[in-house]
Amino acid sequence: MVIVKRKELSLLERLYVPEIARGLSITFRKMFEKKITRQYPEEPLPKTEVTRGQPRLVVKDDGNIACVSCGLCEAACPAYAITIDGGETDRPIEREPKRFDIDMLRCILCGFCEEACPKDAIFMSDELELADYSREMLVYDMEKLKRPAAAMRKRIEYVHKINDRWRSAPRPPMLADQHGAHGHAPSASTAGSHASSPTAAAQKPHAG
Amino acid sequence: MVKITVNGREIDADPKKPLIAACHGHDVDVPHYCYHPGLSTVGSCRMCQVEVQQGQTPGRVMVACRTYPAEGMVVNTESEKSHATRRECLEFLLKNHPLDCPICDKAGECDLQDFTYQEGQSTGRSKEPRRPLEKRHSLGDVIVLDQERCILCSRCVRFFEEVPKKAQLTVSSLGSRSVISSFADRPLTGNYQGNIADLCPVGALTLKKFRFQARVWNLVKQASTCPECSRGCSIQVEVLRGGDVKRFRPRENQAVNGWWMCDTGRFSFAHVNAPNRLANALVRGEQGLVERSIEDGIAAVRALLDAQPQALLVASPFCTVEEGQAILALAKRRGTTPLFVAPGPNGLKDDLLHTGDPCPNRRGLADLGFQPIESKELAKQLAASKAAVLFGERVVELAGQAALAALPASVSLAVFDCHAPDAAACTVAIGVPTWVERSGTYVNVDGHKGPISAVKAAPAGVRALARHLAALDVRVEAARS
Repeated sequence: MVIVKRKELSLLERLYVPEIARGLSITFRKMFEKKITRQYPEEPLPKTEVTRGQPRLVVKDDGNIACVSCGLCEAACPAYAITIDGGETDRPIEREPKRFDIDMLRCILCGFCEEACPKDAIFMSDELELADYSREMLVYDMEKLKRPAAAMRKRIEYVHKINDRWRSAPRPPMLADQHGAHGHAPSASTAGSHASSPTAAAQKPHAG
Repeated sequence: MVKITVNGREIDADPKKPLIAACHGHDVDVPHYCYHPGLSTVGSCRMCQVEVQQGQTPGRVMVACRTYPAEGMVVNTESEKSHATRRECLEFLLKNHPLDCPICDKAGECDLQDFTYQEGQSTGRSKEPRRPLEKRHSLGDVIVLDQERCILCSRCVRFFEEVPKKAQLTVSSLGSRSVISSFADRPLTGNYQGNIADLCPVGALTLKKFRFQARVWNLVKQASTCPECSRGCSIQVEVLRGGDVKRFRPRENQAVNGWWMCDTGRFSFAHVNAPNRLANALVRGEQGLVERSIEDGIAAVRALLDAQPQALLVASPFCTVEEGQAILALAKRRGTTPLFVAPGPNGLKDDLLHTGDPCPNRRGLADLGFQPIESKELAKQLAASKAAVLFGERVVELAGQAALAALPASVSLAVFDCHAPDAAACTVAIGVPTWVERSGTYVNVDGHKGPISAVKAAPAGVRALARHLAALDVRVEAARS
């Protein structure tokens, strides 16, 4: 058994008035200080390249989706949010997604998909808002997920900067049909990839 | 048999079989590309090099597929020397390999990936560009060749020479420009082309029908038996996300099919993937066939059987032995002999695997006491009868959709099939699972038992045939007690 001994209050404490005055003094002091609350959603959240929002698919500068539907993000996803079906294309890169669904209600914004992607095709955007009228509408398909590379540039460069710390060889040119360099006119397509890819312009072509 | 020592363990080896077979037979993993137990050995990939010591000579690194076990041989597959040699071999194999694994269909089951990972070869030293070759070289209707990915193991070349015994492929050109090509660029022919896609240790040969259909690690795999002919090749059924069957691949079974299967069987998934599955029951009322509950359907079949004691019981050759027993029990109670539809040879017979007999369980049903009956003969008997019950997968198709439609209106017909029949004479139709959705046994032409296993769930409202038969029986049991 525990015996709780109540503290004997002094007369001043029993009056309450000084304590009320002390509390109100804090209230009035804070009233004139700088506000630390934010008026979300009228006032948007600050976003930087470090913001890890919803994943989005990169559309390369030549208008093609960067994804080749290799399925590594699907395999890496701990929430089983991603479903991909691949299909054949006539482009030098033979494969592209026919269906790429991310269930945004399942997505936990962990960024594993971005980390797993071997083709720089999926990145965490700075888009965070998620609201709709039904669950079905929150399963985003490929058209809802596509973003031009230019819109994601800051995040892409940030991820490259982080990953390049472990790279021994220079990063191969990104955002261009790498297989173009394999084809029968290597010089022409390599030049094309340089022109369309400012991040890779200074790098050696096709090292990996 | 000779005694050899592999990795410090003494094993018995057959001196007529290469060392690599002895190693594999005793759970010692030796990486290999060109070696295949079903083909002759050429020793071209040099990947299976192991350190071998004989007598007083110091250990030498030798290819395990072209070395034969001898008494007292000491083999070390894990020595530093053999690992180093294999790593060097891999570096050369990877020199011109495009490393387009994200695009390649073989990724996930690729020997080049696996052994590269195993040998720890993660970076290449080559600075030169890889040689450009044709990425999409069609080799007929079944196979596409990616010349860049090819490591020239020549398994596909030897397969055509040794298994169907009709050479169709060769290695042409010289040096780093060597490619696999067919004679005079003719498309491949024959019913065994699909096997070279399985044989290919890398993603150079891919099936046109499987190309980019699925990532292999997403496929649910289940051992089963091919129902395309009465050979009953052991196969593996692979299903994507509980939905479509994406491919069938042969399983090794020396008693039946060796390592191979025919293309007819390999691409026979149109039937199991077909839409318009018959779920619940269709019962003929005043407005024609109307969808009803399974219980109503069973009641209608029961009424039909009660009204017509002479009703024919006809099974499909796709019925398993277990389903056959259930039908047989029903037939015995009624005092009739059950029949099974047995269409004649389909002309696909060859001297390798295909028997030309489209009935996978002919032997199993015949052994149970079912009477085989040709489709035409069956149509005649049906027309002469008052009623018939057709059991099992594809029974309508095999009995002849047109023949059933042409039956006189006086014949009442109950059908248990996977797909909705549009037979005018059909009184009741109840859905049953396909062979990828149920389990059981087929007995092949030589009497070998082959399992079929459920790899995915049947659509909602579809119950097993045996369960329907048990439901038919319930009233009989109640009357007896």
